Amino acid sequence: MNGTIQAPTIEYALLAPMLVVFGAAIVGVLVEAFAPRYLRSAIHVPLTLLSLAGAFALTIWQAAAKGIPTKAAAMGAVAVDGPALFIWGTILVLAFVSVLLIKGEDHFVAAASAVPGSAEEEQALHEGAAHSEIYPLVLFAVGGMLLFPAANDLLVAFVALEVMSLPLYLLCGLARRRRLLSQEAAVKYFLLGAFSSAFFLYGTALLYGYAGSIDLAKISTAVGSVGGQDTLLYIGAAMLGVGLLFKIGAAPFQAWKPDVYQGAPTPITALMASGTLVAAFGALVRVFWVGLGGLDWDWRPVLYGVAILTMVVGAVLAITQTDIKRMLAYSSIAHGGFLLVGVIATGKAAAQNASALSGILFYLVAYGFTTVGAFAVVTMVRDAGGEAWHLSRWAGLGKRSPLLAGIFAFFLLAFAGIPLTSGFFGKYAVFQAAVSGGALPLVIVGVVASAVAAFFYVRVIVLMFFSDPAADGPSIVLPSRGTAAVVGLAVLATVVLGVYPQPVLDLAHSAAQSLFVR
Amino acid sequence: MNNPGPTLSDFGHDPLWISIIKAVAIFVFLMLGVLFGVWTERKLISRMQHRYGPNRAGKFGLLQSVADGLKMGLKEDLMPRTVDKVIYFLAPVVIAVPAFLAFSVIPFGPMVWMFGHKTPLQLTDLPVAVLLVLATASIGVYGIVLAGWGSRSPYAILGGLRSSAQVVSYEIAMGLSFVAVFLKAGTLSTSEIVAKQAGGGTWDIFGMHIPTPSWYVFSLIPSFLIYAVTMLGETNRVPFDLPEGEGELVGGFHTEYSSSLKFAMFMLAEYVNVFTVSAMAITLFLGGWRAPWPISLWDGANTGWWPMLWFFAKLALAFAFFVWVRASLPRVRYDQLMAFGWKVLIPLNLGWILLAATLQALRLPESNRNGILAFGAVVVIAGLGIWLRFDTVNQRRREARAAEVEEEFEQLREEPAAGGFPVPPLDLPHYHGVVPSARAPKEEVTSGSN
Amino acid sequence: MTLQAPGFWPPTGPEIVFLLLGVVALGSALLVVTTRQLVHAALWLVVCFGALAGGYLVLTAEFVAWVQVLIYVGAVVVLLLFGIMLTRAPIGRSADLDSGNRWAAALVALATAAVLVTVVVSGFRTAYAPLDPGQGAAKPLGSSIFRTWVLPFEALSVLLLAALVGAIVLSRTDIQGRK
Repeated sequence: MNGTIQAPTIEYALLAPMLVVFGAAIVGVLVEAFAPRYLRSAIHVPLTLLSLAGAFALTIWQAAAKGIPTKAAAMGAVAVDGPALFIWGTILVLAFVSVLLIKGEDHFVAAASAVPGSAEEEQALHEGAAHSEIYPLVLFAVGGMLLFPAANDLLVAFVALEVMSLPLYLLCGLARRRRLLSQEAAVKYFLLGAFSSAFFLYGTALLYGYAGSIDLAKISTAVGSVGGQDTLLYIGAAMLGVGLLFKIGAAPFQAWKPDVYQGAPTPITALMASGTLVAAFGALVRVFWVGLGGLDWDWRPVLYGVAILTMVVGAVLAITQTDIKRMLAYSSIAHGGFLLVGVIATGKAAAQNASALSGILFYLVAYGFTTVGAFAVVTMVRDAGGEAWHLSRWAGLGKRSPLLAGIFAFFLLAFAGIPLTSGFFGKYAVFQAAVSGGALPLVIVGVVASAVAAFFYVRVIVLMFFSDPAADGPSIVLPSRGTAAVVGLAVLATVVLGVYPQPVLDLAHSAAQSLFVR
Repeated sequence: MNNPGPTLSDFGHDPLWISIIKAVAIFVFLMLGVLFGVWTERKLISRMQHRYGPNRAGKFGLLQSVADGLKMGLKEDLMPRTVDKVIYFLAPVVIAVPAFLAFSVIPFGPMVWMFGHKTPLQLTDLPVAVLLVLATASIGVYGIVLAGWGSRSPYAILGGLRSSAQVVSYEIAMGLSFVAVFLKAGTLSTSEIVAKQAGGGTWDIFGMHIPTPSWYVFSLIPSFLIYAVTMLGETNRVPFDLPEGEGELVGGFHTEYSSSLKFAMFMLAEYVNVFTVSAMAITLFLGGWRAPWPISLWDGANTGWWPMLWFFAKLALAFAFFVWVRASLPRVRYDQLMAFGWKVLIPLNLGWILLAATLQALRLPESNRNGILAFGAVVVIAGLGIWLRFDTVNQRRREARAAEVEEEFEQLREEPAAGGFPVPPLDLPHYHGVVPSARAPKEEVTSGSN
Repeated sequence: MTLQAPGFWPPTGPEIVFLLLGVVALGSALLVVTTRQLVHAALWLVVCFGALAGGYLVLTAEFVAWVQVLIYVGAVVVLLLFGIMLTRAPIGRSADLDSGNRWAAALVALATAAVLVTVVVSGFRTAYAPLDPGQGAAKPLGSSIFRTWVLPFEALSVLLLAALVGAIVLSRTDIQGRK
């Protein structure tokens, strides 16, 4: 009767970082349910930060003490391998930093259900209402981000994609100021995200029809052995690609990114620009390298085109932007393109793949920290109605607050990839791998795009330092300890990775050495 | 013990004509059941209220339902002009058909000989038969919703909306109350669930072997109690008959259906639904067709055609329970109904399922008992801690509120005019806010303009 | 899929039923998007889901079939209807259910359908999956969910919890300030 189902084997130790994050999220929901309102924030913040730190410690412990496992965990659902552990560590640190930013100021709406501009909203603001549910939601999203790049089959990947995205859709709509824009961003993100998820799911179904399995390793084997059903394989792989490329905002699926980055509360934008990008790239590389590795001859030209388009669109459209967050969004698109260059740089030799992978990993770390720092600076430049979003308001910032403007300029230079910043080594690692992989034309396009991008970064710097400040210019708020810590940490990371990148490069290299488990 | 009854493998071998006989028999049984069910209900409720009830048509008024049916068939079928015709026609059908469907998986008895074939007294069975019953019940909601919507009348639409919310909510609680049964029986097939209730275990205590009762109503009493409540909610019967609450909604969803054949379909569906949920209660909790205890001592009680008798007897008792409830309880308020469903029944059910699953897990031979017990203890202690904390908070609130009320009374007592009794002020809106002396001269009002 | 498929002709009973159900599902799905009455669209959706459930039944996935009826027909669309009736409740035809882009939309839909049909037909033309009764019952399904797919299953429950919390965040109005 009972007991005929064999209990599954779950490697709890391997999954511990993820389980800690999910567990903390559920405890957070319980706190919402049972703790009195005035205590909630005081419980949530330490709980969230501690769980992220604890998960990070567990990841380190796993990598350092226990060694890197060589087979997939939890009945083959999750592959906790070198790249996955590296990505987990990156995401956890970035999420920790973003949470510091989230708790810093009042970025979030007082009562989400109140119509913008209504009396209820005013009353809620007056009463100091707050949605403390934000913390568990962020933890849910982070949990999804951890699961996504480690997913060893397409179904787990899909579920993780949803776990990651759903809280983010919601969080996007909770900005305190410019609420209509925020809600529009949330709806756009939700609709387009649902659409892309459908693509992903359909691709999964077709690949299942092709390979008879959704396990990445089995699909990989089937690519070599199953014949006569190539349409299924190609269309399935294409649909899967659409779903994944949407998440990283590669052209032509980039349209959501500026709107969403602009509308979302800035800390959430920081989380999306760093954590989501890292997670999505991890999953993209895993799916294309592990699952569709045997098909690289076919997907490489497509990704080639996508990478060129993404770099060009990101760099060129960024020039025309007047909103600082939209500009950073286009910059993020361009960086996605640079990263795609690394994805293409595969080869027959394992060493080539490892060097491309380590380049991608390093780039993700470097870009993640810089972008979180840049958005943290954006939160500090305030007008009467919230953040000073229009670029013209930033004119002359260097004269009012040289330190802040200097830091922001430094981040922009890192985005541009100037030597002695982290961005330089990131681009260098990726492009070098691409050159040795035989993708020289792509690298040339990448360098040109970098130059174009450098133009608008420098334009902002010129605007900040060599223009006269407006008479009623924005004020620089004194950062809270969290925000200050975020900015400090980002500056530190950008400097250290730019001056002395070797330890992290080594780490990325050793993580990439074993490649993905199959 | 003896004759555990048919298993899943006994189904699907009947020749077509036997299946047709069974289907027709079920149909006829249900139709007759409705005819006499209505009569029984009216008679029984009358007796409970010290009246006679119908006693003109036939002996004891037995033919009252037949007469009513004839009247409904012969009446003019009114159709309001604005209705959505297709939906208006479809609704009675949609509500009646699924009601009958569910009975196809109800076991009436064990294997019997029927015209030279050995066959179970049940139309068919599925590995997921109970789900079928739940699914048909959920289709039945459409009948009510569509009747409300298609009628294009405010009362009807309110009734339809109420019912959709109510049935969906109570279906969750109902489905959850089945879970413990599934856990215990290890199957979702109705015939096998009945078979599992054949023999109870023994309870070894102090060297004595006390036989435990085998019906799930004893071992899973919380599930049964919750089911008993939800079956009232699911069938829209008193005290949960909000969708047709005649006090506030005239007739609710069937306001616009004149008492014609379409209305008869609604009545039919309601009674068949009552039979269905009763039969489910019997199958899942009350031992199905198995004979109750004193009778079950007789060896032949659970063989041949006898079990059908026990089944009908149980069905009659369950129906009587419905009538009894109707005679005793007033209708609940709508918000109370929803709050009860969502905030009481569902959490209680979830907690009970957890407990039942834990007990079930403890019984597995390979289970880690200490681990389960330790975890359970943690959960219980945490739950107690939370409860204690909230209890004190609530207690403080209650005391504060009582003090407030007391203070108010103190104030009132000092006002001799009020004398502690509330006196309506003279400028109530009821008097149109006008003090009588200042009232304008009366205007002529033609009758009927109101 | 390596088994030799029996020929398509003559079609067996289940095949005919399956085809008819497919026609019903397709037709009702078309009516969902073309009908001018909001409530009727929801009702055609019920028919479509019901036909799908029937398709599952024919493919011996009975558990999935009844759960489809229970959840989609019995709960999801009822809530949909509930939402329609509580909010706009348009009676009769709604003029604004149509859009000027309908031809473009139809074209895209047709093209997508053509691509998918081609893919599926060319991919599964020779595929043959024998139907073993009992594979779709609760027990095999349960053992595969709680063994092979236990992690995604749990992750899904987390997803639902997050969605629940999110819905509460968006809708609740009785938030008091921290005093």
